[in-house]
Amino acid sequence: MIDFTSTPIILTMMLGSVGVIIPVISVARKEKGSSLYGGIAFAALISAISFVGYQIVSKHVTPAAIFSKNVLVDDTFGSFFAIAMLIVAIMTTVGSFNYMRGKTSPAVYYSLILLSSIGMVLIAYSTDLVMLFVAWELMSIPTYVLAGFAKKDPSSNEAALKYFLFGALSSGIIIYGISIAYGITGSTNIGQVIAGFSKLGPDMTPLALLAVAMFIAGFGFKIGLVPFHMWLPDTYEGAPPTISALLAAGTKKAGFAAALRVIIMGAIALDLNWAFALAIIAIVTMTVGNLAAIMQKNLPRMLAYSSIGHAGYILIGLSIAPFSQIGIQASLFHILNHAVMKASAFIAVAGIITTLSVSHIDKIRGLGKRMPITSLGLVISLLALAGVPPLNGFWSKLMLFGAAINAGSVMSWAPYLAVAGVLNSALSLAYYGWIIRKMYFEEGESEKRVKEPKSVIAVMIFSIIFIVGIGVYPDPFIEFAKSAVPALTNVTTMH
Amino acid sequence: MTNALIDFVLVSVALLAIGIYGLSVKRNAIRMLFAVEMIVNSANLNLVAFARFIPNSQGQTLALFSIAIAAAEVAVGLALVIVAYRMYNNIDIADFRSLKG
Repeated sequence: MIDFTSTPIILTMMLGSVGVIIPVISVARKEKGSSLYGGIAFAALISAISFVGYQIVSKHVTPAAIFSKNVLVDDTFGSFFAIAMLIVAIMTTVGSFNYMRGKTSPAVYYSLILLSSIGMVLIAYSTDLVMLFVAWELMSIPTYVLAGFAKKDPSSNEAALKYFLFGALSSGIIIYGISIAYGITGSTNIGQVIAGFSKLGPDMTPLALLAVAMFIAGFGFKIGLVPFHMWLPDTYEGAPPTISALLAAGTKKAGFAAALRVIIMGAIALDLNWAFALAIIAIVTMTVGNLAAIMQKNLPRMLAYSSIGHAGYILIGLSIAPFSQIGIQASLFHILNHAVMKASAFIAVAGIITTLSVSHIDKIRGLGKRMPITSLGLVISLLALAGVPPLNGFWSKLMLFGAAINAGSVMSWAPYLAVAGVLNSALSLAYYGWIIRKMYFEEGESEKRVKEPKSVIAVMIFSIIFIVGIGVYPDPFIEFAKSAVPALTNVTTMH
Repeated sequence: MTNALIDFVLVSVALLAIGIYGLSVKRNAIRMLFAVEMIVNSANLNLVAFARFIPNSQGQTLALFSIAIAAAEVAVGLALVIVAYRMYNNIDIADFRSLKG
């Protein structure tokens, strides 16, 4: 039975109807201009996020549930991700106002952002593999188009083609994994699949392991885990920079939502040794991401590698989930923080690219004087990404590494995750500091102040308030993340 | 019994293997699109075969969804390939190398 007043259904109707109407308006309307469509999309996203907030505050959402008999569940886990995704979608929409000025078909652009954000939100709410797959594709297909949106730009097209081929491969692998899971458990409901996994005989266990491995590979492509990351830097560099913000902060986090719903539960139900495999992937991912980022000379590409590194940090919390109370909580908190930090960094870069048309790191010398607010926003985001106190990235990294150290009493290898994370954070400070040095401590060719786009300034002010605000007073968000953690005990007792 | 479950699964695994081979070895964008289609269709075959032998209808439902979604996905992919062809007069993936590092 479908409850038409539940959060995911209303969000779908709200964003979906607006997303379909925007192109219709653009056909009926004669005069050109992108700001109207952006405004409509912004209004729809703001009302969507207020609705989610109202549902949480008025306690209409159920506590975080892992399983449900229905296809969608209206729980705090989904609401947490919905808030994070909608913040990213709002930042992308506002950040695009300036980028889309004078570009072709702005209506389609904003409509695709709305449709993709429906997909991201629905992934977090879905408790059935069919729904999860449909939502996954609803998220992915619009982003393939968006990545190639600059039709005249060869690098945008190349980025989109690479993204499309790997994205299509990832969804193919996911549906193959779903078919195996369905074949051995006879259901597509995530709860029943995992209950079926935990009761398997020894002859069927390898197949279940294969299914979980396929889920890791499929979701890993979107998340950017290391054996599956090769498309990611090219795509983030070539795609329009505002879309890179949506990809790095939005679709990647939606991949984590899917991973938490499926992989973690399946892995715990099958065999706790999976945690060790995830831990190795986490260490390799963060090391490769950060080492490669040091060598980059192009800002979007550097941020792309840094987002690979952050996927590694988030995976720490997932890999220690069976042994630690706060592992998933820390991961969720870092997911929210990283979504805002990365989106604001990419939008600052988008502002720099649209006003000065430079993305090479040597060309941004003296930017602190030329574009002061954008530079300040970029610096704050970069410092937060590096985990400098008292910004929000510091608290979530502290929670992640602390959880890893605490889990050492159960699993001897867990503290090494914290060691790797701390070393990587120190390493990452090197290349973030490099950008900051170029912007503030080196003389540029020109010191003349350029006019900064208003929409980028708005995003920067929001993100500075968010990053510093959470950094100074993190408690409510830590509590929110805690309320979003599903109870894992009924999975671990299935053995 | 001639149409045992294992026959369908073997065909599906073969399709999956051909698809992954095509995607990793071939450099023609259209061939890679076909390879992706083969992977998705191998999963669909699996789903339908399992749904018949389990037996319930969830697998067939998912297969229907998946066919529709794959069509949408390939439409987007073909559009991207056409844009690339207009720019390069070529659809060889190996020639698209402006992004590196």
